[in-house]
Amino acid sequence: MTAIERPAPPVRDQDKTRTWVGKSIRRVEDPKFLRGRGGYIADLVRPGMLHAAVLRSPHAHARIVSIDTTAAAALEGVHAVITGAQAAELTAPLPDFGPDPAKHTWRCLAADKVRYVGEGVAVVVADSRYLAEDALALIDVEYEPLPAVVDPERALQAGAPLVHEALGTNLAYERSFDFGDVDGDFAAADVVVRDRLRWHRSGGQPLETVGAIADYDPSTGQLTAHTNSLSFTSYLFMVATTLKMPVNKLDIHPVPAGGSFGSKLFATKPLVLAAMCSQAVGRPVVYLEDRVDNISNCDHHGSDRVYEVELALMRDGTIRSLTIDTVDDYGAYIQFGVGHHGNALAQVTGPYTIGSVRYRVRAALTNKNQQGAYRGFGSEVNNWMLEQMVDKAARELGLDPVQIRRQNFIQPAQFPYFIPTGNVYDSGNYDAVLDEALELGEYDRWRAEQVRAREEGRYIGIGLITAQERSVFSATEFWFWFDEPGAPVTSMPESVTLGVDATGGITATLYSCAFWGNSPETMVAQLVAEEFDCEPQDVSILYHGSKGGLPATGPGGSRTTVMLAGAVEGASEKIKAKARRAASELLEADPDDLEWVGGGFQVKGVPEQRKSLADIAIMLHLFKHSFPEDMESGLEESQVFDHPYTTMPSADRKDLGVFYPFMGHACHIPVVEVDIETGQVSVLAYAAVHDCGTLVNPRSLSGHIVGGTAQGIGTALYEEYVYDDEGQLITSSFLDYSIPSAMEVPELRIGHVETPSPYTPHGIKGGGEGGRMMAPAALNVAVNDALAPLGVRVTELPMTPDRLRAAIRAAGAQQR
Amino acid sequence: MSDKHEISLTVNGREHTLVVEPRRLLVDVLREDLGLPGTHIGCEHGVCGTCTVLLDGASVRSCITLAVQADGRAVRTVEDLAHGPDLHPLQDEFWDKQGLQCGYCTPGMLMRAVEILEHTPDPTPEQVREQIASNLCRCTGYQYIVEAVVAAAPRLRGENAWDPTTPTEAKA
Amino acid sequence: MKPPPFHYASPTSVSDAVTLLVEHADEEPRVLAGGQSLVPLMNFRLAQPGYLVDLRRVAGLDTIRHDGEVLVIGAMVRQATAERSPEVALGAPLLAEALHYVAHLPIRNSGTVVGSIAHADPAAELPAVALALDAEMTAVGPQGERRIPAAEFFQGPFTTSLGADEILTAVRLPHVRGGHAFVEFARTHGNFALVGVAALIGVENGRISSAALALSGVAPTPIRLHAAEQALVGAAPEGAAVSAAVDVGTAGLHPAGDLQAGTTTRIDIARAYLRRGIERALDRALDRR
Repeated sequence: MTAIERPAPPVRDQDKTRTWVGKSIRRVEDPKFLRGRGGYIADLVRPGMLHAAVLRSPHAHARIVSIDTTAAAALEGVHAVITGAQAAELTAPLPDFGPDPAKHTWRCLAADKVRYVGEGVAVVVADSRYLAEDALALIDVEYEPLPAVVDPERALQAGAPLVHEALGTNLAYERSFDFGDVDGDFAAADVVVRDRLRWHRSGGQPLETVGAIADYDPSTGQLTAHTNSLSFTSYLFMVATTLKMPVNKLDIHPVPAGGSFGSKLFATKPLVLAAMCSQAVGRPVVYLEDRVDNISNCDHHGSDRVYEVELALMRDGTIRSLTIDTVDDYGAYIQFGVGHHGNALAQVTGPYTIGSVRYRVRAALTNKNQQGAYRGFGSEVNNWMLEQMVDKAARELGLDPVQIRRQNFIQPAQFPYFIPTGNVYDSGNYDAVLDEALELGEYDRWRAEQVRAREEGRYIGIGLITAQERSVFSATEFWFWFDEPGAPVTSMPESVTLGVDATGGITATLYSCAFWGNSPETMVAQLVAEEFDCEPQDVSILYHGSKGGLPATGPGGSRTTVMLAGAVEGASEKIKAKARRAASELLEADPDDLEWVGGGFQVKGVPEQRKSLADIAIMLHLFKHSFPEDMESGLEESQVFDHPYTTMPSADRKDLGVFYPFMGHACHIPVVEVDIETGQVSVLAYAAVHDCGTLVNPRSLSGHIVGGTAQGIGTALYEEYVYDDEGQLITSSFLDYSIPSAMEVPELRIGHVETPSPYTPHGIKGGGEGGRMMAPAALNVAVNDALAPLGVRVTELPMTPDRLRAAIRAAGAQQR
Repeated sequence: MSDKHEISLTVNGREHTLVVEPRRLLVDVLREDLGLPGTHIGCEHGVCGTCTVLLDGASVRSCITLAVQADGRAVRTVEDLAHGPDLHPLQDEFWDKQGLQCGYCTPGMLMRAVEILEHTPDPTPEQVREQIASNLCRCTGYQYIVEAVVAAAPRLRGENAWDPTTPTEAKA
Repeated sequence: MKPPPFHYASPTSVSDAVTLLVEHADEEPRVLAGGQSLVPLMNFRLAQPGYLVDLRRVAGLDTIRHDGEVLVIGAMVRQATAERSPEVALGAPLLAEALHYVAHLPIRNSGTVVGSIAHADPAAELPAVALALDAEMTAVGPQGERRIPAAEFFQGPFTTSLGADEILTAVRLPHVRGGHAFVEFARTHGNFALVGVAALIGVENGRISSAALALSGVAPTPIRLHAAEQALVGAAPEGAAVSAAVDVGTAGLHPAGDLQAGTTTRIDIARAYLRRGIERALDRALDRR
């Protein structure tokens, strides 16, 4: 590690009695959703609104020779048909944070060739979605099929078909990083454990797809849009550029989303398509994906990695070093660059005192829908890989799986702990989490049960894993990949405005804040109530559109609660500062003699000398002359809360700086049974203990743990976007892409340990992604534990009956 | 090409006469023609259950039901559960137990739960879990939905309290 | 995913329905019962019938009745109704058990028993049950009514010997004595089965006296395992006979591999579930459950 300056935020005293933070109140968002009045994008209707539908490529890789839209355009009820070539005139390429956007150019519709099954080639605008789809059937496209490249390792070989000719290769990015003395640590180690691992892509698949309503007013040039994907408002100028319009004429409003799990993070294509269509017809246009649109073309498939890993350790189980060589199949475009590997590097050594790491990443392009964001954003894959290796090492060395983890844990006294990559873990107590999980999961009882079961010829496995759940990313993880980054951005803020009205009622305005099923309103309501001693349900929440809004980022990387907490804290301080001054005027007391108690300011020691927030507010709103010249009327303050702990990478990139500091941790212990005749896996029991620092609403966090674990079960056992050798997407609907039902997800026993962050308001850390960051690792370890007596070790996810049966057959196990 | 047909259906107790193309899906007619957006579309091929409504009291997937198939029949949607400001016990328990996160599957899940509790007024958690397996939820992992339905059961039995004038067998 | 346009009628009699099929023969007419298989296909635009004949208003198709030792289930009897029916529980318990596996209740509330049989999905449960029970389909066309034995009915995936101008008005299920079992393997609950087993085994005087075994998901149609049945008949109802039947029954299988399972895995699953199905049917025949 290169020594660099590491300015940390001040350490807070988190020891406090709290009224609302920590309470599992009913969510303030829920009543409208319960009544079916959620106001999702499909629920919004604009007068004169038209409907768009997209024609999709049936080929994985093909040149578009010609498109004849005459018959489609002539169909009654059709208002416009726009081909990819026409779209390339009307729009610029989509916002792209990849390594070389000029060469892997990404557009809202394919112009010269299609690069994956499902890529859009034309869009129709009609009176109804029914009619638009009728028109799609009348569009005549002539394709010249090209050989498809599907396997990522083959894509990197010489002579592979090129996804982007301009790029000249399918290797979009390659770099190897050394953190610490890898060679030295390997030389000093007793044992090296090796493995090759394969994680196939799955995806968020929320029940609601992505959509936008765009309304272009030709008289003003103003474009007003509503979408269920609004994030990164600071980057929305890129969308305006795509639409070839002035940024200050673009106004985008957020609408509640029916789930996201990352897949609605900055999903600009539907918005651009709707906007382009609206600009073309001069009327509001809605483009809402249907399920087939979304599965094949969502631009948010998850990680798709091959790993070659080596773990170097001492015979006693002390882990020294780790080398990781990964090829990641990004599909046909690479909108977020290799940011997913930044997520991996944030916690690459897990909860362990591993001294050095080598990380080689190669991003391969293939003829598939591109990767985007899926809960974990690439860190869940690293957790899985690392825990597989620790598990393998324990087996090879004959060490107890619990003990090998304990002895490598970072200890409480060592925090804040800098890992070899330069990122920091702010706080933690990993033994406490493990202890609680062992008890909650009845570990010893299940080990005994496992022995009994083996005697009966049943194969039960226990999958104990301990891993990290990072939260609140910095902007640097998108560009520290390059020594000379084109745009070394450092802003990743969140903003809140708090307004106190004349009756003392509080309104919180959120910016670029998406409701995805996370609970921003409840979080803010509880945080504001904590500050001002009011009731959470009395706090009114507004979602502000992008125009005239403060900069904000929205959900992602489990950042929302921490960042909203920082913004609320900052705005609250400003409100209270002004209110204190006002109160001092009204009470004719020195401001330093006042203290905030029970929703108002009072003179210390003289509680009868008091002004409530309502008293102060009405005076500030209406009675200007009661206050000094420099005090403005009103009581409203904003806070743009920037990432509180980011440090720059070193020039040689041997130290990436601090970029994901608020580090949670969890231990999952599932118990599985494998039916070796069929390869079916059942989950018999599941204990999950998480430490996300101080919890604002424990029940809400638990709900995310269960939901994330359910998705992790899907990733581990059922879910995969499967492309065949020709690049055909076999899993093109829910008939083939199997989402876990209530019978595939067990009842979880959930435990919480709260080791506060020293750096955040209340000590909060993010935890929304945690369940999915643990479950695939835990289930793979569990299945391997079950099949160990047969000499079977599974290294590929999802663990389908086919893969398990093949492994069992190969290991020579006989069926009963 | 498409002809239109006149259909009559009772939705949430109110009778409607509509003229629809036979290809219109029931979910679209409910949402667009009748102004009831509470029923959502998840997959449009009958797998996820997001679009669940009650048709003559039985749960069906309105995305794979043609509106013409509901001619002469009664439909019940989520909009019929609350009485003005008062939530249905299932809605209240979903709220109390946090049986929802994004809320998108919730209307379909609630209508299915209405049916579950009508068929099994005193269900075990295992029975509820098996019955709600018909409806996908991507957010909650189902645990708190099961808790909510189990918690609502006694409150609904309370509404159908033992009536001494009705023979016991008739309530089976 | 909206259906393409089509013409539609809901006649009130079988003869009117048949007439419509004949009159609109060149418009790709299809019969609509529950629609749980057809409408999704139309939403995908994989099926594009020009004319839909809806049976919902045809009188007399929604009954379950006994005709001697035969249970007759009309074309519009919903799967959920059959599942709850005391007549079915008594006269065709194999059907009742199989119905629990058909998708989920909301699908069964609309879907029909006869409709599922007519759809002839090789992975579906009810065609296998019809085959195991040696059922007869009642078909009505312009030439009148005919009975089609199950063994002749299923021709290929989604293909039956029903004419384009014929309507299945009922399925006739003979009451079969003995222990029944329906088991299936699906990746997730209620999902399409990879392999389904319908078994009916009779035991008399300590020996297996009759056996009917039908498998779904392992061939282009549901299949009867005649060799396995013969291996069972006459044998003592014990493990050795079961193993022999499983070996013989799965020896000739060449299921196509697909996304859900390759050929070898599918055979593995067929072996495991055939054994489970036979064992459960034997348990019932011997009153062990």
